[in-house]
Amino acid sequence: MMLLALGLCFSAFVALSLATEKHPVAMQGRALIARVDRSAWRWVGWALLAVAFALSVSARGWALGPVLWLGAMTLAGIGLAFGLYPYRPRWIVPAACLVPLLGAAGLLL
Amino acid sequence: MKQGFRQSMAWLHTWTGLLVGWLLLLIFMAGTASYYREEISRWMRPELPASQVSADVAAQRAVAFLQANAAHAETWFVTLPDARNPAIRLFWRNPDSMVKPPVEGERRRRGGGRFGEATVDPNTGNALEARQTRGGDFFYRLHFDLHYLPVMWARYLVGFCAMFMLVAIITGVITHKKIFKDFFTFRPEKGLRSWLDFHNVSAVMALPYHAMITYTGIVTLMVMYMPWGMKAAYPQDENAFFSEAFGGLPEITTEAGQRMPSAPVQRLLDSARLQWNGADVAGFSVVHPGADNAVIDIRQRDGRRLSSETPALRYDMVRGTLLQHSPEAGAATATRGVMYGLHLAHFADWGLRALFFLSGLVGCLMVASGVVLWAVKERPKHARQGRIGFGLRLVDALNIGTVAGLPIAFAAYFWGNRLLPVGLQARAEMEVSVFFYTWAAALVAAFVWPRRAMWAVQLYAGAAMFALLPVVNALTTSAHLGITLRTGDWVLAGFDLAMLAFGAMLALCAWRMQHWQPPLSAAEKKKRAAAMAHAAKTAEAGA
Repeated sequence: MMLLALGLCFSAFVALSLATEKHPVAMQGRALIARVDRSAWRWVGWALLAVAFALSVSARGWALGPVLWLGAMTLAGIGLAFGLYPYRPRWIVPAACLVPLLGAAGLLL
Repeated sequence: MKQGFRQSMAWLHTWTGLLVGWLLLLIFMAGTASYYREEISRWMRPELPASQVSADVAAQRAVAFLQANAAHAETWFVTLPDARNPAIRLFWRNPDSMVKPPVEGERRRRGGGRFGEATVDPNTGNALEARQTRGGDFFYRLHFDLHYLPVMWARYLVGFCAMFMLVAIITGVITHKKIFKDFFTFRPEKGLRSWLDFHNVSAVMALPYHAMITYTGIVTLMVMYMPWGMKAAYPQDENAFFSEAFGGLPEITTEAGQRMPSAPVQRLLDSARLQWNGADVAGFSVVHPGADNAVIDIRQRDGRRLSSETPALRYDMVRGTLLQHSPEAGAATATRGVMYGLHLAHFADWGLRALFFLSGLVGCLMVASGVVLWAVKERPKHARQGRIGFGLRLVDALNIGTVAGLPIAFAAYFWGNRLLPVGLQARAEMEVSVFFYTWAAALVAAFVWPRRAMWAVQLYAGAAMFALLPVVNALTTSAHLGITLRTGDWVLAGFDLAMLAFGAMLALCAWRMQHWQPPLSAAEKKKRAAAMAHAAKTAEAGA
């Protein structure tokens, strides 16, 4: 559950960063970005954050859920901004697809 | 005011941050370590065996031990083993008649002999002869009581830092114009720009955590910082305020009665669990043990609740009847309970605890990058004048001595735990001294030679000390990675692995500090390119 929440937050931040002006250039998968409108990525990002929130609250209740959600956002954002963006930009899009899938798999198994 | 609003906020941010930065870093690091207070304590007493008995058996052994060793105490206080702590912890309070007057010249212990304590092996019911150490409690106390200072002064000092931190957070948000635009922006290898980015991102990403931890931190000691409301409403009796506001179960003021055997403790625990629909028992306390009016307060284990106010039940310990539930908290008390609980994070399971710990580390990085940023920004001004001024030299020295020196002190504390002889007099205090002497040495070295080479030296020293800790552990104990990984003792194995990770991180910082080249200005770049081109041309002509 933690991993899925973390993965969703990570993908959400990737989507949100695609919506900003400067970042998409640094990434691979430019074709994907060109096809979809920038403001659409913003919607995707916020929607994923909302899903992560709903997941956290449904798993841990209204007391601990939001705390978990905020913590997952922090970790995902730090990993993206300090790790992948400056040093491994090519991993970002694959990671954004893979980590939530891994989390979902972990939840089902 | 001539300046604009944002400039004055930036000024405030710079100076509030710098003034308290170094002490704040100590507070942040100690607080972050305190999330793993129990785990640190466990690692620092490698003699403790894992608990293999149920809570009921442990409770019976605790009561048996206390009956044998503290039968005449006024109160007993029992904490049962759990996943994070394998031993039974016991405290008791001796009656006034048993307290010896303090000996002249001897350093007084807290409570002056009024309190007894023991750590008991739940598997055997005997006292454990573990090495003397303050374990993770040292960091917990250091976080708000500091050390070597009177407690009240220390707490005011910490509260002052927390207030400044709160100001720095608010002014920082105002100063940082493009929070959303620069949300993910970290540009390495760009000198001042990189430091600013790093400071911004570490602050913004964990902003909910920073704001929460600072505000709730002030709330934990709010009555001490702002006592006037309480003084007005309860002019005579502060204790009445505390017991009414936060007390839970009321204090018992009656005298102990005739001696009379108690009901079996596991029956009382069973009854409590039934009342709580199966929730676990964390521990209990007994007032007037062994008397015919003995009462037992049973505490519920922290679980899915944010608040630090844990429910408790009071039983007549002789007849086994339920006397009282802990009262429902009022709105204000409940609010404080939630804030206190959020700060301590006792509710967190391993995953959530890791998130809190990582957020705490991000906080440390934010404070550290803030004080470094000041020096980086100031340096060109001094470079233009051709000499490093007093202020920058002071800040440089303090930066090296705390940002690079404190990790060395933390590692040294753990080294001391493993290397100081077990039978030493006042061993626990000695470990603490190791921490402070090491830190002092790092600070002195930084003041003597506040240069970039010193950064690298101290960061490498910290890296080596952290990375070698598992080795020292393996050489001095039988609770090392070779064994803990195989038996799946993840508390001990996790500690060693975390030490390796810290070592690697510090080594990376040190390596970058050692190999860093100052970025070239545009004019200099042009000059170098021209020189290169010229050299190439002459080489060609020569050929």
